[in-house]
Amino acid sequence: MLYKNVFRTLKKQYIQLLLLGVIITSSSFIYSTMDYGVSGILNPTEEYFEISNQEDFAVNLADYFTEQEELYLSETCLITEQVFTLSMLKQIDKSCYYNILDNRLSLITSQIDDIVLEVREYKDIFYELNGNTTKARILKDMSVINKSFMVSGNKPINSLEIAISEAYAKNNNLKINDEIIINNETYTISGFVLFPDYSLAMFGDAFIFDNKSQTVALVTDDDFENFDEQIQFEVGGTYTNYTEESFKTEVIDKYYNIESINTFVTNMIQTKNNMRSGAIYGEIEGGQVTGLGLSVLIIAIGILIVAIMVSKILEKQRGAIGILKSLGYKNSEIALPYVFYISILALPTLIFGYFIGYWFSDTMKNLYLLFYLLPSQNIDQNLMTFFISVIVPFAFLFFFSYLVIRKILNQKPVDLLNPTVSSNKNKLTMVVSKLLGKKRVTKKLKHLLLYRSLMKFTVYLIGLFYAAFLIYFSFSMVNIFDRMLLDYYDNTNYNYVGFCEEVCPSTIGNQDKVITIPSALLNNSEVSVVGIDTVNFLHPLLDMKNDDITTKLDDGIIITKSLALIKNIKVNDSFSLKIGQFTFDVTVKGITKEYSGSKIYINRELLSTELFGTDGYYNSVYSDIELSDEDYALILSNDKILEQSEEMQKIFGLMIGLLMYVSILIGGIIIYILTALTIEDNFYNISLFKVIGYNENEINKMILGGYSLYGNIIFLITVPITFGMLKLMEVMMARYYELILPLQISWYHIILALVINNVVFFIAAFSAKRKLKKVSLQEAMKMYQV
Amino acid sequence: MGIKLEEVTKIYESGEIKTYACKNMNLEIKDGEFIVVLGPSGSGKSTMLNIISGLDTPTSGKISIDKDIISDMNTKELTKFRRNNLGFIFQQYNLLQTLNVAENVEVGREVGIDPFEIDEVLEQVGLLDQKHKYPYQLSGGEQQRVSIARAVVKKPKIMFCDEPTGALDEETAKEVLSVLKKLNEVYKTTLIIITHNPSIGMMADRIIKLNSAEIVEVKENKNRLSAYEINWN
Repeated sequence: MLYKNVFRTLKKQYIQLLLLGVIITSSSFIYSTMDYGVSGILNPTEEYFEISNQEDFAVNLADYFTEQEELYLSETCLITEQVFTLSMLKQIDKSCYYNILDNRLSLITSQIDDIVLEVREYKDIFYELNGNTTKARILKDMSVINKSFMVSGNKPINSLEIAISEAYAKNNNLKINDEIIINNETYTISGFVLFPDYSLAMFGDAFIFDNKSQTVALVTDDDFENFDEQIQFEVGGTYTNYTEESFKTEVIDKYYNIESINTFVTNMIQTKNNMRSGAIYGEIEGGQVTGLGLSVLIIAIGILIVAIMVSKILEKQRGAIGILKSLGYKNSEIALPYVFYISILALPTLIFGYFIGYWFSDTMKNLYLLFYLLPSQNIDQNLMTFFISVIVPFAFLFFFSYLVIRKILNQKPVDLLNPTVSSNKNKLTMVVSKLLGKKRVTKKLKHLLLYRSLMKFTVYLIGLFYAAFLIYFSFSMVNIFDRMLLDYYDNTNYNYVGFCEEVCPSTIGNQDKVITIPSALLNNSEVSVVGIDTVNFLHPLLDMKNDDITTKLDDGIIITKSLALIKNIKVNDSFSLKIGQFTFDVTVKGITKEYSGSKIYINRELLSTELFGTDGYYNSVYSDIELSDEDYALILSNDKILEQSEEMQKIFGLMIGLLMYVSILIGGIIIYILTALTIEDNFYNISLFKVIGYNENEINKMILGGYSLYGNIIFLITVPITFGMLKLMEVMMARYYELILPLQISWYHIILALVINNVVFFIAAFSAKRKLKKVSLQEAMKMYQV
Repeated sequence: MGIKLEEVTKIYESGEIKTYACKNMNLEIKDGEFIVVLGPSGSGKSTMLNIISGLDTPTSGKISIDKDIISDMNTKELTKFRRNNLGFIFQQYNLLQTLNVAENVEVGREVGIDPFEIDEVLEQVGLLDQKHKYPYQLSGGEQQRVSIARAVVKKPKIMFCDEPTGALDEETAKEVLSVLKKLNEVYKTTLIIITHNPSIGMMADRIIKLNSAEIVEVKENKNRLSAYEINWN
């Protein structure tokens, strides 16, 4: 009979219980899906990195020459023409190029013990596939470090064979033995390849790593050399006799003090701090921590709600419980039905969440593989994950519910039989009451009713803060690619960049003469240099306020926002700029609103005069009309870059949508459960207010108005907190990955978030408000008091 | 404000069983009158009060208060009517525990059109010096006096009291009743008290007796009858 009584009581609250079930399910779902999702890639990845000998660190070498190298160029290689970069040298004299590289590596290994270095060469190629522009980073295979790893198929052994990433192939419906056309040559796909220094297909400073519009690729060495595209290089390194920490303190933090190498080593970075090779380590660690953290947070909310609900139910039945106790029922006999039904609710929902999580973990794994270039394996269940996602939260739920039940059952029958009159001994309520001073009593009540039920109020605040943070975080990612890339192209008017061979053709119409130097040294930092005319047609430089600052090039250089953030450079800072053998002093006169690339702009005529003694030199051309292949060595189209960026924006759009959905769902459920409970708590108050003559709107404001008000306050308080966390992320990304992630919250995001909060509140509280209408007027006359 | 009941009936139906809570009630109450409704449990006292005050609707019949026919009013109109004209006191005080005495009274004052000052009413119920205390710091009688002040402060034209002394001991009950009587005299408020205690009837202008959902007797009390006379004659 007791079971029947508890069942009927709980049945009346089926909507709240159903939503509580959703929260409990979410907890085990999140943990099992994240844990299994990660496990699907973790084990094969560790094995793959071991087999391929993933680099422990990477060394960035300057593309310009040191003084000794320039001497070597003129005296040994006998090169008389102007060569600014090593990349250019490879086209002119391969043996000199490799000698300089080998010499650099020898110098480094002679100064730093117990390391092995190897050069990774690559070329970036754009081509059309299925009507879309895609990009391949063709990597020359290495023999010791970062060796290529075939997931399936074979390595290219014949000319016109190519291995690409499996993710790219899947995204573009390509299979082994399919053909793709690159630079008018037809390549046959021989297999799917991975490179351990590219666990993320991130080929530049921009935050683009989608696997639909770009791939890593492997061809034969001969085919590699035959591509006309500019050669680029990085150095991978491994160490012995160091730990990760000791290598950081003994090498990474000190290399720039070694004079014989600091002239050409522009950066040395450990794999875990290298986005393209090591982001996966942070992702796996972060994924597991996030999974556990989210799961704990959600189950904590669930436990608190269960405790509140159980406590309310028992308080309502205290008279009946008192009778049972006086009849001789034991505490355990009375408690058992409650514990039984809590278990009936919690255990199946946790198991259900676990299995959905397990089922969804494959999708989770594939979500990782949407970005990461890693091998994967089938996911097997394990006892530990089941234990953490089901048994542990169940034990906590069971334990806390039992504590609440025991607390009430421990009272004497006579106390239970007398109706309780809750007092106002809550100190916080007294303080709040004093703080509110002589405000109207109806306004005071709005606050006091919340502070009186502190636990409920705390759950509400935590839940809404969590939802608000996710919403703002989602908003901060909206148009991130516009800020990183598209804004730049929107603000400039050129559509094509032509890189000249030896002599540039004359410019026509609205074309601009440009000097492009991919590598120069600004103090100790490697930068790319772009020389443009102060008065030009196609490339105005805009600052953060959208003011045109191009004319400031007459007084000094202008740098990109990303360079300013990464190197903490401000306007009027002075530097020495080293381009080839030329060194000159420059002052920063402006910062453009470009979030991509460590780039400096300089007055072209002045640069030309410094380098060549004439103001007429240029090596590339910006054009708004299509350029002819015959006139230029390489032509880049902005459309291709924009298409890539848009693809990435689409992926981020999906993530933003998912985050918004989760946050709105959690916020909505919490609002519904708590407002419904609040109306139940205030049943007699509401009845009394109605009898006195307050209308529904006024009662609604008193009983639920506080939730709405504090919800909006939480949404506003979350703004500076989110803003601070975004800034911290920006700084951390810049410091550890030298990457700028322009996450931004605007005033209209805040307004929109408040609108979302209020709409969700209105919808979630709507059903609860219907209960408000049903409260009978005569209830005020009944026995129980609040 | 005068009240008029014409053939008021309230029937509760449960399946095929019909139960009369009020049966063909006819009654007229004059402005400023002090009425006590007496009757045993289940006689329909509370239902009668609920219907007269607009907390419940009759199955048939007409209830008018001055020119307003409240039996024809919808929920919104009834709320407005209660707000502007009626005050309630219940056996349980239903004070808001988070508010002090003055603030509890203010809850009633906020909906009044031309309300009394809080201090004035607290003075009348003898609680002015305890206005900053919280309900849990007061005795039962004091709490009931707060609920009286809360009902009176909005200057209602009619006051309904459902067993206002039901939860109090005899001495305290006398105190509360004398406060109610005083308010009736000072403010000329129509006062309707429902009780099963005949001794309360001694203070009334008229006594209405109910039994089995019907008005069985209406007795003038100009000569201040004794409790014995009220009960048995």
